[in-house]
Amino acid sequence: MSALAPSGASTGRGRRRRLWLALLLFGMALVLLFSPLVGSVDIDPLRVLAIVLSGGGVLFNPCAGAGPTCSLDVIAVWQGRVPEVLLAVLAGAALGISGGALQGIFRNPLADPYLLGISTGGTLGASLVFVLNVGEAQADLVLPLLAFLGSILTGAAILAVARGRYGSVETLLLTGVALNAFLSSILTVVLLYNPVGSIQVTFWLLGGLGGATWPRDGIAFGGILVAGTLIAIYGREINLLQLGNDVAQSAGVDARRVRNRVLLLASLATAVAVAFTGVIGFVGLAAPHAVRRVAGPDYRVVLPGAAVVGAAFLVAARDLSYLAFPGTVLPIGIFTSLAGAPFFFYLLYRRRQSTTMGGP
Amino acid sequence: MSRSPPAPAVRLDAVSVRYGSRVALRDVSLQVGRGEFVALAGPNGSGKTTLLRVLLGFLVPESGRAELLGDDLAGLPIRERARRVAWVPQDESPRDDVPILDYVLYGRYAHLGRLETEGARDRELARDALESVGLADRAGDGLLSISGGERQRAVLARALAQEAPILLLDEPTTHLDIGHQLDLLERVGALSRDRGVTVIAALHDLNLAARFAQRIVVLSRGRLHADGPSGAVLSEELLARVWGVAADLRRDPRTGAPYLLPHRNLPGPDAPTAPSGAGPVHVVGGGGAASPALRLLADRGFDLTAGALHLLDTDSETAEALGVPVAIEVPFAPLGSEVRERNRRLLATARAIVVAPFAVGPSNVANLEDLLPFAGRVPIVVLVRATDGRWDFTGGTATAVLDELRRRPGVVECALPELADRLRALLAPSPLGASATAVSR
Repeated sequence: MSALAPSGASTGRGRRRRLWLALLLFGMALVLLFSPLVGSVDIDPLRVLAIVLSGGGVLFNPCAGAGPTCSLDVIAVWQGRVPEVLLAVLAGAALGISGGALQGIFRNPLADPYLLGISTGGTLGASLVFVLNVGEAQADLVLPLLAFLGSILTGAAILAVARGRYGSVETLLLTGVALNAFLSSILTVVLLYNPVGSIQVTFWLLGGLGGATWPRDGIAFGGILVAGTLIAIYGREINLLQLGNDVAQSAGVDARRVRNRVLLLASLATAVAVAFTGVIGFVGLAAPHAVRRVAGPDYRVVLPGAAVVGAAFLVAARDLSYLAFPGTVLPIGIFTSLAGAPFFFYLLYRRRQSTTMGGP
Repeated sequence: MSRSPPAPAVRLDAVSVRYGSRVALRDVSLQVGRGEFVALAGPNGSGKTTLLRVLLGFLVPESGRAELLGDDLAGLPIRERARRVAWVPQDESPRDDVPILDYVLYGRYAHLGRLETEGARDRELARDALESVGLADRAGDGLLSISGGERQRAVLARALAQEAPILLLDEPTTHLDIGHQLDLLERVGALSRDRGVTVIAALHDLNLAARFAQRIVVLSRGRLHADGPSGAVLSEELLARVWGVAADLRRDPRTGAPYLLPHRNLPGPDAPTAPSGAGPVHVVGGGGAASPALRLLADRGFDLTAGALHLLDTDSETAEALGVPVAIEVPFAPLGSEVRERNRRLLATARAIVVAPFAVGPSNVANLEDLLPFAGRVPIVVLVRATDGRWDFTGGTATAVLDELRRRPGVVECALPELADRLRALLAPSPLGASATAVSR
């Protein structure tokens, strides 16, 4: 049995939860297989499938008997679409599980990487690239690095407060919110005095998967796998934290240590995602809520579930951003909020059993 | 190592705790044996919760030493602490609709390894715990779908699943109705009796404490004020000293447990009280007219007598409840000579007389007539009557006697709210040595 299996596995609820998880994973696989069919240029769907299944020409030649343009299609699909879809999976999973973890440790349904300023910190870091006049060539490397540092430093700053004597959950949350506002205003000043850079930053602010490459996916995969797995292992502790710090501690949970570690890990996962995709809102907020609505409040289910739902959500958002208005591509960050908000309302107002956070 | 008797469940040695500049616990030493059921009592802010938080390891004492089962608390890792002490808070108020069985299994945390899931034994323990709180058939229900009383039992079950030999409860019955209060404490008592669980419970309700705990520890302003068997610790004097509340101590005829009937706050420094050594005030009334005055004056610490009253009359019941000596006649009969004689003796010892606005008929008109000889000898305060409403059922005799009384020196009228002040002034030793009887209108 894995550590993530719900404790109520023997009950009807538990079986239903596992069914949901299986369904989600199955849908995920389908989405993964078919997403590369969608892109900015028209490519024959069968050829795309052939390219994907051939592993970009490693397993067999997808261009056997095809015209000379096929090799360009291979590049477009294997170097463009596939890494893009994989980045969507990774970033979506990172944002989903981070959001779930932050909602858990702060016991607040509104907590997510965005609210706490972790994403804004990344944006500020990225904006420095334009201020520092980094050359085009180096920017490719420096921008993700600065964005990562911006996010992780913001997380660390919140943690520094938590280490102090008055690091209650509320103080921590408010610190994040205040930090977000503070960083936003600095960002505004930076952009105001760098009109050229501001356009690039604005694009970056909207979030996008355009920068996806295999090496970047590799880095993101490593970071997010480690952070996400470690977060998921804390599901049991986060469950106990829902009963209040005192009760959790009386049951043997080192509440403060768990909170600090999970905050750090969530910052890490978010920082990796922000570094390569810019700011993509709403996934971190909506994915855990969606899981809670259907699968119940057990964080051992909510955390991995939010990763899967976040990934599927972002991949679907990517596909729709190509399909919604043929000829133009909506920035994915706009799309997540545009499509996510109505979905979120639907989840909130569909009256189901009170599995929502916030009590009766 | 030689075999020594097992260490006590809990030992506190001169423990002091400070919140900023406020001392919450001062030099508290306490030892609780295994399997004892100890109630922690004391007014709000006396340090009960602080003491529990020290035992839970949430607070580190500024000085002194706290031990659990013989080991210094400060040296116990948090998981080991949880294996020794479980906790039932006043109001856990869960936020999520977790199935009850899953919730109880949360209590197994301290016994599980990092990546270990709950096994068959954990499930069995959780079901046992639910069984012992009477929730076995609700295991699959959500925590938010059950009543507050059941939820508190679920919390108890979660604490039990922790398998800790020491159970701490902080006002566990505060939000429960009386039936659920008794139910919860009976279950806790059974745990202590049958399973040898050591129970330390902060309880506001002293009667529940006396009924269920073998021992009561009373804290007052952070100090240990009293400690002993429930029957010996509770007293009227303790309630007055620690809580500032006057009470009557009774004994439950069925359980033998002492119980307290608190009836009023002790007067604050501002309320007018009887001058010390003032001697008794005699209240004349009937039919309930004297009850407000009796209660007010008893509250302010005046020594009282009353009469003559009829048995079963509201005023005579009030007088009896307040412990006021009273001359009593059988119901509805005219006051007999013997009763009148007893009443006159009470009047003779009184330092002041209060006449309540009572209805006067043939059976009790003597109460007014007997006052006339005392007018001028002791101050008489006639309480103002409502102008409407008939009170004289004697065909004019009573009105004539009352008017005569009002004309006498030393007879004053006043309204009930001013009564205590008025009597205080009348009874206060005059600095000029003038007799109180010189007071006139």
